[in-house]
Amino acid sequence: MQIIGPDSLVFGVDDVPACHEFLTAYGLDAHDYTPEKGGHFLSLDGTGLEIRRRDDPSLPPALKTGNMLRMQVLGVVDQAAMEAVAAELGKDRQVLRLADGSLRTQDDQGFELSFRVTTRRPLDLPAEKVNAPGDFGRKPNQIGVWQDMPTKPRTLSHVVLFVPDIEPAVAFYRDRLGFRITDTFTGTGPFLRPQANADHHTHFFIRTPPYMQGCEHLAFHMGGPTELMLAGSKMIKAGYESFWGPGRHKFGSNWFWYFKSPLGCNVEFDADMDTHDDDWVPREAPMGAEAAQAFLFQHRDKWAPSGGPKPGH
Amino acid sequence: MTRLCDLDDLPEGGARGFEVPGLACKVIVVRRGGRVHGWRDFCPHYKGGTPMAWKRDAYLNGAGDHIACHAHGAWFDIETGACVQGPCLGKRLIRVPLTVDEAGAVRLRQREERT
Repeated sequence: MQIIGPDSLVFGVDDVPACHEFLTAYGLDAHDYTPEKGGHFLSLDGTGLEIRRRDDPSLPPALKTGNMLRMQVLGVVDQAAMEAVAAELGKDRQVLRLADGSLRTQDDQGFELSFRVTTRRPLDLPAEKVNAPGDFGRKPNQIGVWQDMPTKPRTLSHVVLFVPDIEPAVAFYRDRLGFRITDTFTGTGPFLRPQANADHHTHFFIRTPPYMQGCEHLAFHMGGPTELMLAGSKMIKAGYESFWGPGRHKFGSNWFWYFKSPLGCNVEFDADMDTHDDDWVPREAPMGAEAAQAFLFQHRDKWAPSGGPKPGH
Repeated sequence: MTRLCDLDDLPEGGARGFEVPGLACKVIVVRRGGRVHGWRDFCPHYKGGTPMAWKRDAYLNGAGDHIACHAHGAWFDIETGACVQGPCLGKRLIRVPLTVDEAGAVRLRQREERT
């Protein structure tokens, strides 16, 4: 099943202007936005979020839990992949064909799914380059950081779901949609990679009670750890609140920095995630602080050794 | 008794967070229905608690009728602190008793224990 991953995540929120403020500060570009109706918030390759009012009648039904995620739009490589999805899921559920060419259905947990031939644009952008003795990534005179270097999210990376009935949920994505399990946190859930995407994960599931079902967090890929650190620092300086990070995860190796958001879930910057192919042998570890990250830091205000840190910082 | 702010600095329906010496988390003050309610900025979803605003002082949901944790979407009743929706259903916020003195200052009613 040639699925690439989420092209878009659709939210029905209770404060559209707050989401606009947060998501544009995060670095996404607003398209077709009005405070009354919401709009699209896109990263550099055109993937992103669609933000609507919670009571917008065009949205799919809300989850009973009050979580604001209303639908995942999964991009597939071509029309043949669309037909493969339609044929597979049509075996045991209603799959609607909408006028815009997309498919609409639900997974076994009641999460709304849409499939479309991906609209993401190929990116021709260099990754962050690192210099080290023995391997100089940057050319002479190419500098590694400057204060106002661009820090735009490049593409929608992954979505993490609180899933009540995890075994059938995993079976649906693995056996019906062809996702590969890359790694698993024992007792919590697996990281999942669709076949047409080498990223360590586009989905991660967390086992929860039914009243928690929904989106735990979503993340966009940055151009590298420096962009992630700068983007997060700008968020802090502007008064936004960190939830977790910056740090570096073990499973996936991605750098992370999570921020709380008016979408009712955390919104993460990530960078430098591992990629895999089908030769990868999945790992498993008990969920916990040690397994979740290689290291963790917390932001502090800038200071210089000449004057010393401000008292209390 | 620690002074947090003047009542006049907190509009009806507004919320603010205050750092209190000796307390590991901020104290949220919400003014609603002519009363002030104090709660620890400590979402009970995780054992260690997490602060809840998505930006400075942004503690309420869109309608301004619930305290919201913007990490995972829990909503709390402003008067009782009970979680009414989201990941900590059945749990509640920890109340911080407040008083408004004759000069209109919002103060902690008693000295908060160190945590």
